[in-house]
Amino acid sequence: MIPDWFRPIAEYMLREGLPETLRLAAIALIASVLVGVLLGTLMTLRFGPLRWLIRLYVEVWRGLPILVTILFIYWLPGYDIGPWHVQLNAYMSAALALSLWGSAQVAEATRGAVQSIPKEQHEAAAALGFGWTSRQAFVILPQALRRLLPPMVGLLVNIIQNTTIAFAIGVNEFLQAGTRQFENVTSGLTGQVAPSYAPFAIFGFVALVFFLICFPLTRLAAYLEKRLT
Amino acid sequence: MFHRAVRILASFEWSVIWDNRGPLWDGFKSTMKAGVVGIVLAYAIGLALGAVRAHRLPALNQLAATYVELIRNTPILVQIFFLYYGLPVLGIHLETFTVAWLSITIWGGAFMTENFRAGFEAVPNRLREAGYALGFSPLRAFLNVTLPIGGRIALPSTINTAISVLKNTSLLLLIGYPELTYVANNVQSNTFRTFEMFTALAIAYLAIVWTLSALIRFLERRLALPEAL
Repeated sequence: MIPDWFRPIAEYMLREGLPETLRLAAIALIASVLVGVLLGTLMTLRFGPLRWLIRLYVEVWRGLPILVTILFIYWLPGYDIGPWHVQLNAYMSAALALSLWGSAQVAEATRGAVQSIPKEQHEAAAALGFGWTSRQAFVILPQALRRLLPPMVGLLVNIIQNTTIAFAIGVNEFLQAGTRQFENVTSGLTGQVAPSYAPFAIFGFVALVFFLICFPLTRLAAYLEKRLT
Repeated sequence: MFHRAVRILASFEWSVIWDNRGPLWDGFKSTMKAGVVGIVLAYAIGLALGAVRAHRLPALNQLAATYVELIRNTPILVQIFFLYYGLPVLGIHLETFTVAWLSITIWGGAFMTENFRAGFEAVPNRLREAGYALGFSPLRAFLNVTLPIGGRIALPSTINTAISVLKNTSLLLLIGYPELTYVANNVQSNTFRTFEMFTALAIAYLAIVWTLSALIRFLERRLALPEAL
């Protein structure tokens, strides 16, 4: 079924590249949700300067192409923060750039979700003697997070797809793994002769694997969306 | 601490941007050329296929849905590589510029299709029926009823897609299309003025993206439908 020349390539991609992609996506997702929910909740405060600062954060990281953010972070020279010398490697640069972008998306979605909770909920919780923090933590956010679930699944799909941009700085994610193997094959390093349709097959395989991961997730997001309304 | 901050600030050489204004301007023009072609064609695809999807035209609807799902569930970078490296295998040799506008058109078209489908489906059936009662043919009813109202509903989300198409032009750096990010990245690797160059690049992108976002907010206010349909 699988031609001989393709088997080592596919195995390498699935063994080396795919875990890297999924790990990068997991790091970015967790960081995005943690930072994003916090910033989004703070954005509903009435304190102007804080709101403007978070708004600036959101608009900058949402507005920049992710590739530009990744290159910017990656090519910055190392610098000292107190006693530590900070120099991000490719993997950390990509994780940071994806998290900045993702947390901006989550912050904006959280703000919308929190503001969509009726005012009566705030008032009822206040009447029961909840302070601001416990009101947010026990009354508002649990409801808001349920509304956030479909967009979060959508965000996961976007993050998984956007990990491919880390290709640009040499992170060995799934697309990079495929390309490296493609170069090995065409330069004859693997000792096997690849047919002329090799690039077609390899990039088709990359697309197929991404599709198999992302399609169920987009269906899930659509299903959650429908069940909520 | 303060002295170090001053020293770092004083070490910036913003003249690197002015000195490279020629190539940067060319890069900006290349970005705009691919971006504008991509956005215009994506709107055309989105209008046509959005109508097909909303009216559930037999066969065409399923084809359009397949196209949309394939594009939305695979990373755009993989699509770009597929066109650039994969197609020549089939004997289809495209110039870099052709791959540039074609790839972002195909990507944008899928998202525009969803934008317009949602807009057209939001138009209540009774408005179309009123059109039929006046003797409109299905095509006239679409052109005179569904399109003006549904298009208005879809407009803000289509501009969001247009912004994404423009941001995606930065990925064309990876196939060697000399757009803005490509040029800026070249200049910074020749001059080592990383911070200055990428700051200027970020400002350029944010200027474009924020202008278009302001346009969305303006249109949302201007085009808000006077009453709930």
